[in-house]
Amino acid sequence: MVLGLSIILAGFVISVLSLGFATDVWARLAIVLAGIAVSLFGIIGILNPAYLKDAIWKK
Amino acid sequence: MKTRKLIVWFCFAALITLSGQTPAPPAAAAPPPAPVPITDADVKNVEAPKAEARAKGDPDGALTGTVSDIAVADSKKGLTIGDLVSQVGQNKIAINFVWTLVAGFLVMFMQAGFAVVETGLCRAKNANHTMMMNFMVYGTGMLAYWLIGFTLQMGGVGAVGNLGGSPVLNAEFTVTLFGKTFGLFGQNGYVLMHNGAYDVAVMVIFLFQMVFMDTALTIVTGSAAERWKFSAFLASSFVLGAFIYPIFANWAWGGGWLANLGANFGLGKGYVDFAGSGVVHAVGGLSAMAMAIIIGPRIGKFDRTGKPFAMPGHDVTLVITGCFILAFGWFGFNPGSTLGASGNGNLRIGSIAVNTMLAGMAGAFTAMFYMWIRYGKPDASMSGNGLLAGLVAITAPCGFVNPISAVIIGALAGVIVCLSVEFVERVMKLDDPVGAISVHGTNGLFGVICVGLFADGKSNYGGSWNGVPGSVTGLFYGDSGQLVAQLVGVSTLIGFVFVFSFVLYLIVDAIFKHRSKPEDELAGLDIPEMGALAYPEFELKTSGLHATPSGD
Repeated sequence: MVLGLSIILAGFVISVLSLGFATDVWARLAIVLAGIAVSLFGIIGILNPAYLKDAIWKK
Repeated sequence: MKTRKLIVWFCFAALITLSGQTPAPPAAAAPPPAPVPITDADVKNVEAPKAEARAKGDPDGALTGTVSDIAVADSKKGLTIGDLVSQVGQNKIAINFVWTLVAGFLVMFMQAGFAVVETGLCRAKNANHTMMMNFMVYGTGMLAYWLIGFTLQMGGVGAVGNLGGSPVLNAEFTVTLFGKTFGLFGQNGYVLMHNGAYDVAVMVIFLFQMVFMDTALTIVTGSAAERWKFSAFLASSFVLGAFIYPIFANWAWGGGWLANLGANFGLGKGYVDFAGSGVVHAVGGLSAMAMAIIIGPRIGKFDRTGKPFAMPGHDVTLVITGCFILAFGWFGFNPGSTLGASGNGNLRIGSIAVNTMLAGMAGAFTAMFYMWIRYGKPDASMSGNGLLAGLVAITAPCGFVNPISAVIIGALAGVIVCLSVEFVERVMKLDDPVGAISVHGTNGLFGVICVGLFADGKSNYGGSWNGVPGSVTGLFYGDSGQLVAQLVGVSTLIGFVFVFSFVLYLIVDAIFKHRSKPEDELAGLDIPEMGALAYPEFELKTSGLHATPSGD
């Protein structure tokens, strides 16, 4: 769970960093999209499966 | 006969001659008359209706609303130019106050729409509990927002010109990053009394923003319905209204760092969200997803292999009635977000209202046809969700796009909501009884992106937006920077708001436990949680298990 939340938050941090470390609009666009992808992976690929391990319907 | 021929030829020749004539050059334009200054004496000469005439009544309205109705500052001096100018200013602000308040009243009524939509989509044994959550979220959210949330959101917004430019909400907490100022939360206005917040304009802003916040809160009750302990619901709603919603709303609407992405980093006009696809709906939808993950699915929603089962709601008439109430309330939500009808380009309210209704219509159509083609029937509840999806998606761009774009946005939203419901249920294995995550979360994010694509650069709200001169313009009309600003907003919603709400809900879970007892859930939450059935004269099935596989 902590790993999942950290990855989701990391995606947001990547997007914010694009403001400081890139000036070209397309470079910023690419970095922000990467940040969104990281966050979505954190939710769909890490956090939710961690909760599904103990899902009520598996018991 | 000869004479008649001659006349015909004469007319024909005259016609030819006239049609070939070049127009005479216009006479030299006369110089415009020199402006004549109006003096107090001119104003005093304006005739007021005679007392005898007024005494006979005014059936045609010609004697009501005249010079005699203008407030005079000094009765000894009589009516002056200064009195006239003050009256004009007062009229503008009065129009904007009334517009914003009435729009806020419409948005408040949306709570009734949410209540009946959610209750209709839940089973009868939970109807009292679901209704009660939707009822008390109004009071709980308002209390949290009055105590804390409003200050965090709007305490540093500065003057709102349409409402009189009240400057008392002027303290924003900021940090410096990359050499730029990042506004994080407001600090003025606690309980509407702190630092001059006892102010007529502040009251109007509070009412309008409060009902928006409550809309976000009620979204979460949908995703956790039929298994949420009432005490945990109250605590969760309080933290959402006090902290989660206001923080993001400050960043977008309260003068925070997202709004200033244009001024600070040259990204379009900064993050733009006209009426809250992101601020209201995506915040509510992502919080709803966090809650759905933590609380888990209802008993019987999935079998041991993870195959989902349909758990149909008990009253489709409530669902569709609620959708109509919500669509009606949306006319307050979107056009009201101008915060005024007079001045600063606010006559665009007509365009905003039309965009809103067009997008809702398009969403309902495409969702209905999607379900019809895919499953063989035009599903009523998903058609309703399609309407809501279209409305959610147009909420951010409604002030900046043309009617064709509004229809495209709504049509796409109607399909997106169907795909998202399937993804959330079948891939993520999340149980969202009313489709709140898909309607509000997915389409809220989609709406935010649509601003960066479809904004046509034709709007003009006082010549600038978020302090950047010019009109909001999306990628399809030439400004790629606006799309980047919108995507930074999307990333903030997914990466920060989701995590923030997840952590706060975990804290609430540690104290109150979100999940009701299994035996209560199977019996229905009306008796265990509320102490009374919604429908005491009907015999209810108490099994949580259903035999119809979802989507089959």
